[in-house]
Amino acid sequence: MLPPILFNLFNGLIDTVKLEQTIRTTLAHVATIANCKLIADITDDTILLQSGLDSLGFAMLVAQLEEDLGIDPFSQMQIAVYPRTFAEFVTIYRQAQQDGND
Amino acid sequence: MDLLQQLQHANYSSAALSSDGSVSYQQLIAGALAIRQQYPQLQQQGVALRYSTLPQFLMALLAFDGWCSALYLLPETDLDIPEQVRHWPCEPSVIQHTTRSSQETLWYLATSGTTGTPKWIAHTFASLSRAVKIAADQSTLHWGLCYQPTRFAGLQVLLQSVLSGACISDCSSGDAEQRIEMMLSSGITALSATPSLWRQLLMTGRLNQLPLIQLTLGGEIADQALLNKLARLFPSARVLHIYASTEVGVGFAVSDQQAGFPLSWLDTRHSGLAFKIDEQQHLWLKPRHTPDSNLARRLDSEGYMDTGDLVHIQGNRVQFLGRDSGIINVGGNKVHPEQVEQVILQIANVLQAKVYAKASSVLGQLVVADIVVTSDTDRAKLQPQLVVHCQQHLARYQIPTRFNFVDHLSTNATGKLNRKDPHG
Repeated sequence: MLPPILFNLFNGLIDTVKLEQTIRTTLAHVATIANCKLIADITDDTILLQSGLDSLGFAMLVAQLEEDLGIDPFSQMQIAVYPRTFAEFVTIYRQAQQDGND
Repeated sequence: MDLLQQLQHANYSSAALSSDGSVSYQQLIAGALAIRQQYPQLQQQGVALRYSTLPQFLMALLAFDGWCSALYLLPETDLDIPEQVRHWPCEPSVIQHTTRSSQETLWYLATSGTTGTPKWIAHTFASLSRAVKIAADQSTLHWGLCYQPTRFAGLQVLLQSVLSGACISDCSSGDAEQRIEMMLSSGITALSATPSLWRQLLMTGRLNQLPLIQLTLGGEIADQALLNKLARLFPSARVLHIYASTEVGVGFAVSDQQAGFPLSWLDTRHSGLAFKIDEQQHLWLKPRHTPDSNLARRLDSEGYMDTGDLVHIQGNRVQFLGRDSGIINVGGNKVHPEQVEQVILQIANVLQAKVYAKASSVLGQLVVADIVVTSDTDRAKLQPQLVVHCQQHLARYQIPTRFNFVDHLSTNATGKLNRKDPHG
């Protein structure tokens, strides 16, 4: 059996992968409705505003994720933080989920 | 004094604008005089002006204000102009004499109107330039133009820059990355943009590299998180959020970096305006100047005018909630729910449609539609059909970002859609 600390770490990793998958699925879905053509390969370093999603598409992504995940990290901030890359975007959601669980 | 006379009088020796190269105030004045010389047939005529480049546009404004009877600033969308109005640029005239008399020019700007149909609204140069601040520290600014200069907000920035002797660069096209690139290479120090555009510029991660000393937010409700972020990035800059009711023709600026405006303004005048809130939570303003005659009939007995903006009092602030008319503001673009509903109702299977706003942390508001469809409708098939139909008939920002299938939509006593309840 895994020691508790490793168990928690492992679970955390699974959550992160799940979260990123949800975001990727939602992104693809929103791009279709928003009539945006996403670039073929979105990686951690992809700059969001150059992913093919424009500001309206990005707003729709945040709105849809609020429905899917129940959180909108951008509406809860005291001081706004805006992500530049895809990895930064995922991190903001992961942080918001953790804050919600604490 | 017309615009050209004001600049001749001010005699600024610096650069008026920079794009590929820079153009000085003296060059602008010379260019404007040359246009008057070359096109004498336009004097005392109505002229319609389309935006091409900033130097050309600015020279034409200088040439035509106080020279033509009317100046129509053509928006990107088609809007009819009266038949006798001439388009500019046009062929030069063969007649080479000009008279020197100056005349008051009416400036016509396109607005989306209350029904969603664009219409022309006449302004005088005096009313357009009323908010311009002329001071020594203003003349050293380098403005980035983020709005189309043929629209009210863009023209305000342009006039502020030119009348105060500052420099301006066109940053009104391209995506946020391209714009920030342009701003960085021009060394922009003053910027006026919608909160939505500020958020996009923040997303580039490079906004902090701009040496900004004046930041203005307008066209949408400015939220506290964004104000905090900008104030933290530019601690010694002036951060203003402006409220303007172009319909009422008045506005004011809030400079304390707090969302909304101070509650105390309801007791004391501010920016030449008196404020009050009625039982329906509408903000009423009483301007110092008597407004144009077509607005005068909208004044109440005390001289206040209904802005149609909903507000609420929170602690010692008055906060904005949005438009009472239901007009949706998507990143500064106004959407009329009725116009979108008409398009959705063109689809045979749709029996009823209600379009309303959903709050967005990115663009302020997004468009959402509740629809009632016939019982035999295949909803999975209808969804993409709705999207395609809307794409054909509406601008992108007008298209509902979400269609909710509902069983019924409630109507009020007059049989109209109940717009007060967002989910009925």
